[in-house]
Amino acid sequence: MMSQRSLVSVVDDDESVRESLPDLLKEFGFDARTFSSGQEFLNSDCVGKTQCLILDVAMPGMSGPDLQRELKIRRQEIPIVFITAHRDENIRPRLLEQGAVECLFKPFSDTALLEALNAALQVNWTTGVSRRRWGNTIE
Amino acid sequence: MLETPTEEVARLRGCLNDLVGIMALPALWAGGEPQQITSTLLDALLGMLQLAFVFVRLNDPDGGPSIEVMRRNELLESADPARGFGIALNASLGKAPLKWPTSARVSIGNAGFSVACGRLGAHGEIGIVVAGCERLDFPQKTERLLIDVAANQAAMGLQQARLLSEQKRVARELDQRVAQRTTELAKANGELRKEIIERRLTEEKLRHEEAELERSEAFLAEAQQLARIGSFSWRVVNDEITWSEQLYRIFEFEPGLRITLERIATRIHPDDLHMLGEMVDRARRGAGDLQYEHRLLMPDGSVKYLHLLAHRTRDNDAGSVYTGAVQDVTQRRHAEEALVQARSELAQVARVTSLGVLTASIAHEVSQPLAGIVTNASTCARMLAAEPPNIEGARETARRTIRDGNRASEVITRLRDLFKGKDLIVESVDLSEITREVIALTLGELQRNRVILRPELDDKLPAVLADRVQLQQVILNLLRNASDAMANIEGRPRELLIKTEPDGDEHVRLTVKDVGVGFAPQEIDKLFEAFHTTKKEGMGIGLSVSRSIIERHHGRLSATLNDGPGATFSFSIPCGPARDAVDPGAILTAAAMDAHHVVRNL
Repeated sequence: MMSQRSLVSVVDDDESVRESLPDLLKEFGFDARTFSSGQEFLNSDCVGKTQCLILDVAMPGMSGPDLQRELKIRRQEIPIVFITAHRDENIRPRLLEQGAVECLFKPFSDTALLEALNAALQVNWTTGVSRRRWGNTIE
Repeated sequence: MLETPTEEVARLRGCLNDLVGIMALPALWAGGEPQQITSTLLDALLGMLQLAFVFVRLNDPDGGPSIEVMRRNELLESADPARGFGIALNASLGKAPLKWPTSARVSIGNAGFSVACGRLGAHGEIGIVVAGCERLDFPQKTERLLIDVAANQAAMGLQQARLLSEQKRVARELDQRVAQRTTELAKANGELRKEIIERRLTEEKLRHEEAELERSEAFLAEAQQLARIGSFSWRVVNDEITWSEQLYRIFEFEPGLRITLERIATRIHPDDLHMLGEMVDRARRGAGDLQYEHRLLMPDGSVKYLHLLAHRTRDNDAGSVYTGAVQDVTQRRHAEEALVQARSELAQVARVTSLGVLTASIAHEVSQPLAGIVTNASTCARMLAAEPPNIEGARETARRTIRDGNRASEVITRLRDLFKGKDLIVESVDLSEITREVIALTLGELQRNRVILRPELDDKLPAVLADRVQLQQVILNLLRNASDAMANIEGRPRELLIKTEPDGDEHVRLTVKDVGVGFAPQEIDKLFEAFHTTKKEGMGIGLSVSRSIIERHHGRLSATLNDGPGATFSFSIPCGPARDAVDPGAILTAAAMDAHHVVRNL
């Protein structure tokens, strides 16, 4: 039997994040999977199951926004919370404009992350695809 | 004695012959001189009348001495000269010839003579003729007639001769005068001609000089226009100001408009008006040279940059006069700005490719483990707070916290090594002197940013043992920050105070005060953190590095907000020798040790 917990996937090339975030997410009550690159995530079986994607902006190879675009092309519209170590105030509005739920600068607090995840999961999905996926994961 | 008719006829005929001879005399002397007339008269009378002598005295018409001429019979023994005769006649007949009787008996020498006097001219005005004969019955009627007619003829001849001679004299005189006048006129004419030539030459020269002057004036005007330089003079005592044409063009005033300081002030950029006031003050105090760079704000809103240079020339009675030049350096200024822009863009590119990349990677590398630390610590706290507490999970997250803490510490160590470079090179340093060197380096940049630098440097500051170059980096950094903070300030002068002074007995202090944007009060704790910046282009490294340098000198770098606009940064360092650096990584190491402590206690 599958866990009824919502799946949150983390894509970040930094090991510290990949090691620390799943434990916190589990403490929050989510299910968590980590990937060290966008390609690894796309190749996994989690794309359709992920309710929220925590995505690093700057990564070697495919960047966070690259992955966001790729998912759009594949009509896999997963709510995304970006995280970045580049404290660039210009980047946040640009990412939000392109559909991100939130953009957090590292290091971020546990409460800021929780707020962002709640916002992501309460997004009112208007497309049928999203509703179906939402329903699938709820089951 | 009676005459026979034959004798009488013969006498009368003889008389008639004589009369005809006398009547013919004028033909002999016609056109002749008085002397010739007189001589002819005397010879004729002497011959005709068988006289002993005949004497003529001619008055000078101009009142001079009279002329006396005489002829005498050669048989006459006593031969007195005419002068003698004249005197003798005067003695016998009186001194006034006009009163002499027509005939008389005179004695001259030892002889006695009968004389007949005939006046020359109607009233004897020409002279008198005296005929003398030894005969007692002299003159007979016919003799008298002959003498009178001869005298009359002679008088007429003399009159004519006189008139003629007068005419000749007058003519001569006239000729002479005409000649003289002609000479004078010729001379005057010559002088006039010379004068005319000279005047023409002078006029020509003047015209030439005027043309030359016009040409050089035109040349000057053209040169001024080309170089965008106007010239002026300013008599300080009454503010009498004279401008060249080009200066009118630069200020865009109507040519010929009367120039006053008030009128000039209407064109000066409001932010630069204080310079005009200062210049007037300095001029009134008699400053030697004036040099200003200021802006004009034109009615159309455009801005011109001017460079003014003036030199004082002392005027004897009317006080100081400044003469100088004003150059429109707007184009140069724009070129400079473009150059600075290009240079700073280049510098920016260089920074982006070196420090920028470095900073980004450092920030990234520090933030990543920090994110891990915060997340792990949060998780750890939640696990411990759970009921029951997840001890094993907490231990694991704490372990990861330690690892991430150490990882962050390593990054900080790399950062410190990077900025630390070499060890401190300590020498005896005069803080005021090294500040002056930094000012000299940055003055151009500050002027371009229209920063008015007011240095107050203490010349009697005690020396400090410090790393000269590193301290100068700090000073440079503070000056640049202050200048940057004022970059967008308009409406007030961009004043920057830099001051050195003793701080107690064993410290020296340097203060940099600006009137820029300052910082938010809550920001004050973050100012010196690495990567904290208020500047768009900044990286937030300057102040943190500055603080670490000052701390390595065992000093303190601090910031305060001014009562008015802007901020004040200041550091104080001890005069004694610097010791080893404080390790900036120690704090993170301490954090890691705290985590160790947690782990051990679990």
